[in-house]
Amino acid sequence: MAATSPPGTGLLKGLGVTVKHLFRRPSTLMYPYERDDLAPRTRGVIALMDENCTVCMLCARECPDWCIYIESHKETVPPAKEGGRARTRNVLDRFAIDFSLCMYCGICVEVCPFDALWWSPEFEYSEYNMESLLHEMEKLREWADTVPAPPPLDDGAQPPAEVADAIEKAEKERELAEAKAAEEAQAKEQGADAGGAAPAAAKADEPKVEAGQIDQETYDQLIAEGKSERMARSKAKAAYVKKEKARLKAEAETVGDDGGAEQAAAPKPAEVHVEAGQIDQETYDQLIAEGKTERMARAKAKAAYVKKEKARLRAEAEGADATASEEAAATDESAAAADQEPSDDRAQTSDDAPAQETRKLGDVQVEGAGEIDQEVFDQLIAEGKSERIARSKAKAAWVKKRKQEQLDQEGDA
Amino acid sequence: MTGHDVIFVLIGLLTASAAILTVTSKNLVHAALFLAVTLAGIAGVFLTLAADFLALVQLLVYVGAVAVLFLFGLMLTRAPIGREALDNQNRGLAIAVSGGLFVLLSTLIIGAVSSGALGETSVAEVTGPRIEDIGIATFAEWVLPFEVLSMLLLAALIGAIVLARPESGESGEEAEVTRIEMGDAPASEGPQPLPDGSAPELTSGKRSEGSS
Amino acid sequence: MMASLTHATTTVAQTVSLFDGVDGFVLPVILKLAFVLAVFFVLPLVGGYLEHKVMGRMQHRRGPVEAGPFGSLQLVADGIKFIQKEDLIPSAADRWVFAVAPGIALVPAMLVFLVIPFGPGVFALDFELGLFYALAATSVSVLGVLMGGWASANKFSLIGGLRAGAQLIAYELPLIIAAITVAVQAGTLSLVGIVESQATFQLFGTGINVWFVFPQIVGFAIFFVAAMAELSRPPFDMPIGDSELVFGYMTEYTGIKYAMYMLTEYAGMISMSALMVVLYLGGWQLLPGVPLPGCEAGGGLFDCSPLGIALGVAITIAKIMALVFVMVWARVAYPRLREDQLQRISWLVLVPLSLANLAVVTILKVVF
Repeated sequence: MAATSPPGTGLLKGLGVTVKHLFRRPSTLMYPYERDDLAPRTRGVIALMDENCTVCMLCARECPDWCIYIESHKETVPPAKEGGRARTRNVLDRFAIDFSLCMYCGICVEVCPFDALWWSPEFEYSEYNMESLLHEMEKLREWADTVPAPPPLDDGAQPPAEVADAIEKAEKERELAEAKAAEEAQAKEQGADAGGAAPAAAKADEPKVEAGQIDQETYDQLIAEGKSERMARSKAKAAYVKKEKARLKAEAETVGDDGGAEQAAAPKPAEVHVEAGQIDQETYDQLIAEGKTERMARAKAKAAYVKKEKARLRAEAEGADATASEEAAATDESAAAADQEPSDDRAQTSDDAPAQETRKLGDVQVEGAGEIDQEVFDQLIAEGKSERIARSKAKAAWVKKRKQEQLDQEGDA
Repeated sequence: MTGHDVIFVLIGLLTASAAILTVTSKNLVHAALFLAVTLAGIAGVFLTLAADFLALVQLLVYVGAVAVLFLFGLMLTRAPIGREALDNQNRGLAIAVSGGLFVLLSTLIIGAVSSGALGETSVAEVTGPRIEDIGIATFAEWVLPFEVLSMLLLAALIGAIVLARPESGESGEEAEVTRIEMGDAPASEGPQPLPDGSAPELTSGKRSEGSS
Repeated sequence: MMASLTHATTTVAQTVSLFDGVDGFVLPVILKLAFVLAVFFVLPLVGGYLEHKVMGRMQHRRGPVEAGPFGSLQLVADGIKFIQKEDLIPSAADRWVFAVAPGIALVPAMLVFLVIPFGPGVFALDFELGLFYALAATSVSVLGVLMGGWASANKFSLIGGLRAGAQLIAYELPLIIAAITVAVQAGTLSLVGIVESQATFQLFGTGINVWFVFPQIVGFAIFFVAAMAELSRPPFDMPIGDSELVFGYMTEYTGIKYAMYMLTEYAGMISMSALMVVLYLGGWQLLPGVPLPGCEAGGGLFDCSPLGIALGVAITIAKIMALVFVMVWARVAYPRLREDQLQRISWLVLVPLSLANLAVVTILKVVF
């Protein structure tokens, strides 16, 4: 009866649909054995970078659940200068988040003005009793090591506000220095070729690069690392633009060098500011040696870089009437703009244009991010860390080691 | 006394005690459940007497259908949920009626057996009739009474349907609807007094009430 | 009619169970009970595992994976969990009725397995009234459901129990009529006899050996639908109706008592499927009219070698599981019916259809 009547065909169709799905692959992720790649902004656990915390209490006040506990005391800091005023400073004694109360709204992370609170995608911290869900400062600090790097900016996106501010500041200083240099040049000399070289230099500042191309090498590497095609493409594009700019810059430089246009060097340092990703390698290495996280070190090194750069620009502007040989040295320096470290290999690297980017740990690309440093891993496991944390740290350690090796090799070469 | 006899006596005692509890039970649903036990016990008695077909009919019809219908009807209409007792105080009458029935039936049976109407059969010789014998007996020898009985049942069925249907008045509307008691019904359709106890502003309903 | 009766007299000689080969009086009884218990506790677990897995795969899940190899011991683990759970009884509940109800539901479901043949000689009892007995036993289970629903002192339970009662009364009728039709066709009520008669049954007038499913495809469909409704399996699970009745008559049950109700349902799936296999699908035969390897001696059905017995049991269980699969399939594919639709299907479609089927089959039986 079911097969012939119209409602019967509907019933059979229903059976057909379900039996078709019987042979599809189940979409189950076998969780404890397989893990999904969590989005970088996953709200897993809240991490604390206590060195950034100023005990402003904003997070504790904004928390809808009142699950953040902060204790601190004031310390008097002796005056920085002789005869200055002694200042008081808040010292964080206790920072705890009760994750049995937390509702993961993220307001504390949002509201923190000093980037002391971060979201980490770690989520496996369930406990057998509720009290253990109160994470004290040390535990929250550990979570900070698991905070992933922020996703890269889209190609052509505006830089972050603080970077943009730094660029603007440096730009102003550069204009000042330029104006000064031009004034002095006009007053001092009749240099017609200097006037001719200036536009060329300006051109080199912002080399026009067509955005459509991608850097095949970077692309392949990222694909090999298992990134999504989209991500790899956008990164490869950015890499291409960067490389192309560097190449054009180097070309312009060689032209400038050939023409003996020393004045072209003056606007050069400003170009440095466009690259927001630069860090001060010395500071970075030092911080790493002190045991800070890579992220922390990077942020501080960036700040240090901007500071140093400013100082350098100022010094340059002051010494604009220096000799031609000095300016030539400045050209060299600006070519290797990022690196403030007077390193020996700089002359070598500046020879070939693509390799002109200064070599630092951050720049060295290492293939195979999936490897882990077994030694570090074992040690962390022995210390009682979770496997996941140990794995991520060991990975970072491996990459760092590899980079160091590569750098050393290049140094030897 | 063989093991067979022991089982027979045990089942008989169970059936009898369940029957007594059916009458004495204060809770209507309990009474119905004890009735089901009694009926199942009778099926057991049939089984020990080698009347397997009869036992199964007893089980299928009386336990599986009649007792279930009793319970179903009780639960659908007036069974209190859970432990509450529901008793119409007619226990004395029920005991009297069932006692009278017992006396009547047992005298009839004893009289029939002693007069030799059932023939001379000892317990040892009792073997249940085969199902084919029952079938042939029902549909060949006794087909007329069988058909008359089924007609009677059909008539009863139709009568029940006619009685159960809602009576339709001249207007075609349902005559009477019993309202299920669900707490207090709203007192009146008129406006409720204001919180301070005073009557609200006059409405049309109020005015007509005052005028009449 | 007379033809059928004479046929019946020829096949009614009772077949001896495998267990009766053992000497003594007590030992065969113990063996039979052990067999019934083993079937009762193992096959429902297999059926339940099949349901978990098939339902999971149809919903793009994997089903159980952790307990035992491929999650096959999941139901055992569930059972252990149920035993450990606290046995809660609502304070307003009728304690005795509440406690007894799951047993009343469970025992008849267990008793059905006494007469079901699982292979050549692999049955506890070749009862002359086997089919009648199976139907009578299943009809008693309603009592347990009604008792549980009422004794829970819970409105959801009561409504669930009432729905179950109404549903079981409504679907008992087409189920029994469909079964009677098979009995008429076979000329016996013995389940072993029905299997036996299917081995030699030939389609009306032709010489083709077929099982009863072919002349009685309508009856099979009626029996299947009615069996699913009897078991309250989705899409006929209004007594449980978890979106409207919490969990129907099982709402207040926990622990081992709840497990007993669940076991009743799974055992019912197996026993109903086994009945369908026996009534319509030729029992332990591989093909109609073809004797099993190792069974050639006894007319292709009895006096088998151990190989033939094993093969017969495997074939029966495979057929049962195939029917369980279809039940699960229907569960996944179809949404739950409304209560009035349920009653309508039974009284307005299945009952008249089954009566017509009975009439047609009886006439054909007499004519040929």
